Amino acid sequence: MKNLFWGLSILLLASPSLFAETLTDVNQIIQKSNLASYYAGDDGRTQARMIIVDSQGNKQMRQFTILRKDKADLGDQEMLVFFSRPSDVNGTVFRVTKKVNSDDDRWLYLPALDLVKRISAGDKRTSFVGAHFFYEDVSGRNPAEDNFTLISSDNGLYTIKAIPKDLTTVEFSWYKAEIDTKTFIPMKVTYFNEKDEAIRQMQVLDTQVIDGYTTVMHSKIIDLTNDSFTEMQFRGVQYNLGIEDNIFSERSLRTPPKQWLR
Amino acid sequence: MNIRFKHHLFISLIILILSSQTTFAQETVNKRDLSSDNEKKIKNTLTNDAWADDVWGDDAWAEEQKSPWALRGFIEVGYGTFTQDNIIDATQSLSELTTRFEVDYQHDSFDIAAKADVRYDDVLNKTLWDTRELNIAFSPLNNLDVKLGRQVLTWGTGDYLFLNDLFAKDWQSFFSGRDDEYLKAASDSIRTTYYSHGITFDLAWTPEFTSDKYLTGERFSFYSPQALQQVSPASDFIVNKTNNPQWSARLATSNNGIEYAIYGYHGYWTTPVGSKITPTGQMAAYFPKLNSWGASVRMPLVSGIFNAEYAAYNSSEDYAGTNPFIANSQHRILLGYESEVVKDLTTSVQYYVEKTRQYHNLIQSSSTPNLLVDEYRQLLTLRLTYMTMQQKLIYSFFSFYSPSDHDGYIKPSITYRYSDQYRFSLGANLFFGQEKYSFFGQHQTNSNLWLRAKLTF
Repeated sequence: MKNLFWGLSILLLASPSLFAETLTDVNQIIQKSNLASYYAGDDGRTQARMIIVDSQGNKQMRQFTILRKDKADLGDQEMLVFFSRPSDVNGTVFRVTKKVNSDDDRWLYLPALDLVKRISAGDKRTSFVGAHFFYEDVSGRNPAEDNFTLISSDNGLYTIKAIPKDLTTVEFSWYKAEIDTKTFIPMKVTYFNEKDEAIRQMQVLDTQVIDGYTTVMHSKIIDLTNDSFTEMQFRGVQYNLGIEDNIFSERSLRTPPKQWLR
Repeated sequence: MNIRFKHHLFISLIILILSSQTTFAQETVNKRDLSSDNEKKIKNTLTNDAWADDVWGDDAWAEEQKSPWALRGFIEVGYGTFTQDNIIDATQSLSELTTRFEVDYQHDSFDIAAKADVRYDDVLNKTLWDTRELNIAFSPLNNLDVKLGRQVLTWGTGDYLFLNDLFAKDWQSFFSGRDDEYLKAASDSIRTTYYSHGITFDLAWTPEFTSDKYLTGERFSFYSPQALQQVSPASDFIVNKTNNPQWSARLATSNNGIEYAIYGYHGYWTTPVGSKITPTGQMAAYFPKLNSWGASVRMPLVSGIFNAEYAAYNSSEDYAGTNPFIANSQHRILLGYESEVVKDLTTSVQYYVEKTRQYHNLIQSSSTPNLLVDEYRQLLTLRLTYMTMQQKLIYSFFSFYSPSDHDGYIKPSITYRYSDQYRFSLGANLFFGQEKYSFFGQHQTNSNLWLRAKLTF
């Protein structure tokens, strides 16, 4: 009887979408969304590729593999990004220790010089390797930086307005996030300037459930001021691999951990 | 090949590369008014291109990870010219066509890397082969990495300033405007790295001493304190080489985002800063023995990165500093700070001091004391990097200025990444100084402008 009870509880906890009720606490929605977007599993691995298209239609490509490990859900994270394409960046490795309560630590390994360069945490809203994705889009914007208001919850979406607490650190005035009520994945995020004109938009184009986690497989960021955009696709996504802590170190920059990159 | 023909060759190559692409992308970002029909515009953007699958072009993920073999490379043309009359024979500071071949082989238990350049160097009128890498890397133990063979080695915290990094540098490439990659020369070495409890221990053994590619007078002239004038001896620059080994070691760890390292080196000065009489009675330059130790720290500080490094150079053949023909021992100190001050604009500053340790003895024994460097030679450097157009256009400025030598060196450049395959850059190496014998001042006539075009494959 007791076992049945536990079994039911686990079932309920593991699949909240089955009995999803509409949430009204905006901070709870944001927390769940942050968890779903950036903290799936205790660790994870994915291959990714981006196509960067400028306003003239010129294309650039990036291909890389990401390894991630969480120190705690909604807490600090370790991340490694191994670039394989284009050929002039092959072997370049980007390492981040994402810190919730202070600046991230960031390193870049340049294989041609055997150089481990430390990068200042600086502006997180700087292009990630030339893409329309910012560093912050890749590693997640800290929810503590915005004030949120729930505007509506219909059509399976929570529509939330977010206003940055410090406008000097961002290039927008506010943004609107449309979050799936079942998966808590933000399906569309639109950034507006001070004239309330949409200037930038992130869209999720495809998701898949992998190991029980709803995972973004294809997304896109458009610069609405000139119609340039970047699309990002993922494949080979895996969670809870048991990646050791010591993989996230300087050693992996010079000697990429093959067992996790296949 | 006469000079005119060579110029034609060079110009044809540039045209070839330029013409194979359509016009340059122009940054015509017209800020449109989106206030009236935001949603419509967003929808339009979507229907126009977002859902088209062919946006990925070949639509294939690069499969290189599946094959153990990877082949890469590039073709690059470079051209540079002196901005002033120079006593060097050549009129160009750079005129070359380089082809890079790179082959990697990945096995479960080892990696093989081969990387070589074939360069037709018009300044020297020669075709040269340069092996940048030819090594095997493996991990014989869980916490031990070994890389054996020709490789590029780097450590330390300086930006264009080296204290504890005594691995070979290529100053000729640096001065002529080649890619930064070439500043580090390759050496035939064995590097072992041992990891334990968050501590990294590196030991690099270079069985046969590998010097810097220093200035010989072949490409760039320099001041001779013996001749008391600018010289370009080229092949007449006699340097006695040693075949003895170099040892470099580093012990590194980090705590709370602060990186600490200590270093040791046992070998030789990497430029020929000594001279002695050969058995044949000639005066020849050579590489005196050098031992050094040092330490560094690198850490985040107010949204930037702070670094400090120290090195003690013991010029062991002349520890007392009384032999004017052997470089004196030194203390080297570096402080640096880098920060992204404005979005996409990174600024870094460094302050560097080189203290001659037996300065009094040096002055006393020198026949040309008025040409000597100050006891505390100081340098300030400034680096500005501004990236725009989705980081495709990069403006870079680097300057050295010595308040003690009253001289300096400015390295501005602009790099345009037209696509993943094509990259164009132009820049300059500009030297100035009050005195014609000082560290940078002597290179005033070596000042040059350069441009490069690169096709990566």
